[in-house]
Amino acid sequence: MNKASAPQKNLIKTLNKPLASLKLAVFIIISLAVITAVGTFVEAKYDAYAAKKLVYDTWYMYAIMGLLVINLTAVMLDRWPWKKRHASFVLAHIGIIILLAGAYITAHHGLDGSMRVGIGESNNLVQVPETDLTVYTSFDGDRYSKTLEQEVDFFKKPPSSEKPFVVPTYEGQIKIVDYKKYVLPSRKVVPGEEGKAGAGVRFQLQNPNVNVVEWLVQKKPNALASQNFGPAQIFLGSAPIKGRGKNEIFLTPDKEGLQYVVFQKDSEKPLKKGFVKEGDVFDPGFKMALSFRVLRYLPAALEEWDLKDSDAPTPLTTSAIKIIFENKEHWVLLNDMVKLFTNNSVYLLTYGNRRIDIGFPIKLHKFEVARYQGTMRAAAYQSLVEVPKAGEHLISMNEPLKHNGLTIYQASFQEEQGQPVASIFSINHDPGRFLKYLGSLVISLGIVLLMWFKHLDFKVGKSRKHDGDNA
Amino acid sequence: MKHLFLILISLFAVSFSASAKDGDALKSLPVQDGGRIKPYDSFSREMLEIVYGKSKFEGRAATEIVLTWMLSPQAWHDKKIFEVRNHEVLTALNLPKEQRYFSGEELFAGDRFTLLRQELQSKRETKEKLNPYFQALQRLENQYFVFQEIASGRMLKVLPPKEGDTWLSIADLEPAFQEKFMNITKSFVINIGNVAKGESTEQSAKDLDKSVLDFQDAARAQNPALYNVDSRIKAEVHYNNFHPFRWAYIFYFLAFIGLLLVWTLRKESLMKGVWVLMALGFILHTYGFGLRMYIMERAPVSNMYETVVWVSWGTIVFAAILELIYKFRLILVAGTLVAAFGLVIADFAPAVLDPSLQPLEPVLRSNYWLTIHVMTITISYAAFFLAFGLGDIGLYYYLRGEQKHQEQIKGIVTGIYRAIQIGVAFLAPGIILGGIWADYSWGRFWGWDPKETWALIALLGYLAVLHARYAGMLKHFGMVVTSIVAFSLVIMAWYGVNFVLGAGLHSYGFGAGGVEYVSAFVAAHILLVIYVSVIRSGKRKLSS
Repeated sequence: MNKASAPQKNLIKTLNKPLASLKLAVFIIISLAVITAVGTFVEAKYDAYAAKKLVYDTWYMYAIMGLLVINLTAVMLDRWPWKKRHASFVLAHIGIIILLAGAYITAHHGLDGSMRVGIGESNNLVQVPETDLTVYTSFDGDRYSKTLEQEVDFFKKPPSSEKPFVVPTYEGQIKIVDYKKYVLPSRKVVPGEEGKAGAGVRFQLQNPNVNVVEWLVQKKPNALASQNFGPAQIFLGSAPIKGRGKNEIFLTPDKEGLQYVVFQKDSEKPLKKGFVKEGDVFDPGFKMALSFRVLRYLPAALEEWDLKDSDAPTPLTTSAIKIIFENKEHWVLLNDMVKLFTNNSVYLLTYGNRRIDIGFPIKLHKFEVARYQGTMRAAAYQSLVEVPKAGEHLISMNEPLKHNGLTIYQASFQEEQGQPVASIFSINHDPGRFLKYLGSLVISLGIVLLMWFKHLDFKVGKSRKHDGDNA
Repeated sequence: MKHLFLILISLFAVSFSASAKDGDALKSLPVQDGGRIKPYDSFSREMLEIVYGKSKFEGRAATEIVLTWMLSPQAWHDKKIFEVRNHEVLTALNLPKEQRYFSGEELFAGDRFTLLRQELQSKRETKEKLNPYFQALQRLENQYFVFQEIASGRMLKVLPPKEGDTWLSIADLEPAFQEKFMNITKSFVINIGNVAKGESTEQSAKDLDKSVLDFQDAARAQNPALYNVDSRIKAEVHYNNFHPFRWAYIFYFLAFIGLLLVWTLRKESLMKGVWVLMALGFILHTYGFGLRMYIMERAPVSNMYETVVWVSWGTIVFAAILELIYKFRLILVAGTLVAAFGLVIADFAPAVLDPSLQPLEPVLRSNYWLTIHVMTITISYAAFFLAFGLGDIGLYYYLRGEQKHQEQIKGIVTGIYRAIQIGVAFLAPGIILGGIWADYSWGRFWGWDPKETWALIALLGYLAVLHARYAGMLKHFGMVVTSIVAFSLVIMAWYGVNFVLGAGLHSYGFGAGGVEYVSAFVAAHILLVIYVSVIRSGKRKLSS
């Protein structure tokens, strides 16, 4: 052909040769297989997030993918000018490049998160895996302004006491000195600073059928904290004048103990009033003969976490960071917050998954679980949701709602005491979708043609000489 | 050829008449269990398999055994009917490790069992993954539960409710129905008494059938809509009795023997017979597949057992096609051997490959993409399985002498190459279809889920083989070796993800089991490959 007459093309071809080599291709294919295989073992031991962070989303994975694209491009360049019989080979290889381009666009511009919507509630925020650190500052303890918001990836770059992650504040600085990937948290309550912390009470509700021991802690002084126990709801904070027609016990913190007011189901007027100290018991007077015992009372109480290390994640573990502020240590769990005080200012630090506003609310009207006959095994579940413009829509397993470029998929649900309370949706936006489909189609076409064209057939015993490309 | 068709027809006839034998009506009694209505025949087999690990006990059918648990639980007190395989659990229970079957007395009477149950419960509360020890404990607890619930009459749900969809168990029946069921048990006891005494069962079997039908009529009258399951129940009892896949592998094996005869006696005229045997096996195989499909109203490719059956089916199809093109007997040898092997494994390992018919997980329900994508991917495994079988035969020829058998080796390598090409041509689109399904259903094309990732790894493995062959890096021996070694990737994708990794969206409580056998199978083949390579290089040195 025109090989001899175009020396420039020849030079390109010579330079291109090593990049187009089949041996390099075999190396790349095997490397990809090995890396992804390692990824599946990481996922089995830890979880999908760890596998993504440690294997699939790393420089070496990107490097090998990059090399793959170079190799595919080079090998196609090497065959230039293409002939008819190259069709299958070119299509299969271009298809892969298109597919990878689509995947790249999705990875960098797509959305893949989850949203929890309680039954009867609505939500417009998608939670994504990326984590942010946010600090709000207040000088009067009331009005807060956001003074820092930053993406952090402690999973890959954990802070330590030698190399802390420092957050400057108006006075002093918050140092993040430790990070734990998997901890099992349990709540504990400790005495806090008076005037800054709310009150806390540990109580026991008891009758022959019920025995509950719980802490109730106010987030800040005079705030209302509550806990529902089915037969009665317990409040810590000031009592209203009229009841709401429910079984309720209000406990108002006082210096030495608690003032209590009891309301009953069928009356607005208080049923009972009184005063209790630590160790005291009283009978609220409900029909089910409950006794209420104050086990511990702290006029100023702080909630903290007791953390137990875990080697691998379970549905109960979470991650946590340790911060130091004014020589005091605090553990902050993922998606939790901590309040830090100085004499002049208050800082609110949150550490959690980023929430992205999808621009419209999803309202959950109804949620239903269908079970296989005679069992508790879920056969299917579905959510009746309402979104602006599209109106009501039924989302069920494998039948997602597609709206505004988003796919809203029924992922799972939350149950409390055998009753579903919330629906969990997975929310995705895939800008690379078109390229992925195009790439898939092109690859498949290539494979079909591969069966057609004889030149890739392996002929037993015949010498194989194709354009001299496997020298 | 005519003879064989006659055999086939009589086979069907025998199996149908068997299901219509006197005393067999009990088998077809509809029972609600595991989220569907099944015949008592399936129910009792599954229950006995849970407890004892087999569908017969001391040669007696499950239908008998399970009913006597309820009629006289105390008689089973010291019968060794509970299978425990895990050594750690046996140690914890202070029981001998050599023994495999134990009585309820030995296992559950002491307080050791209660302690182990508490241990399991606290493990469950932490929501960690259960290791094999805890999985074995869980099985023990389940065995205990199943036996107790059946003995108390709470497990066997035989009567549709007037409203709702949870059927009533024997223990909850109203007096009128209690009495009708008592009639069944009375005539059942008389009938097995006659069997035991060796007396004529002609009358007692008829009485038993009558009492069963009597109960069924009353049950149907209670709620005709829920009790309208007759044809599926009959099909399932027939499926259980007939065992079509067993017949299929018998015929495949006969075809394999026939091929050996063609080869050793050099009698080409036998080939017709081989094709007929294969066709018979294939028809029965397809028939069994169709039956499962009819009973469950879905494509039967939702668990390990079903995919093994489907893959064996695929190997026969591909072997036949390649044979028709290349006229090379060894492809058929490999095909029949591998298909028979797959079906035998499926038949003999119920603990690993659960043959019972189960309803689908929510995520898999009512989606034609699922069927298309799973079937495409697993059919590619059939082609790789065929290549693997050819690879084994190839190794045999290398042992016999490379020079002498050049012709065969060339043919085998052609077969391997073609089979791998077919496999790739199905696996790549299969993975893409999986992506399309995932995108359609979840809005996510690819999620690095271990099952899909291992399918991709298997694809990459075979692509590496094809490219290396094209580059001249793999010669004939290399192709034979890689066809065997690369199949380990398929085993990992197919079996290992569920049973070894036990992670990801695609592993729906398949549990663990057989890991040691599968690992031994893979290891044995790799050792064989190494052995043959060493021998071969030794021979080459000698000859050079």
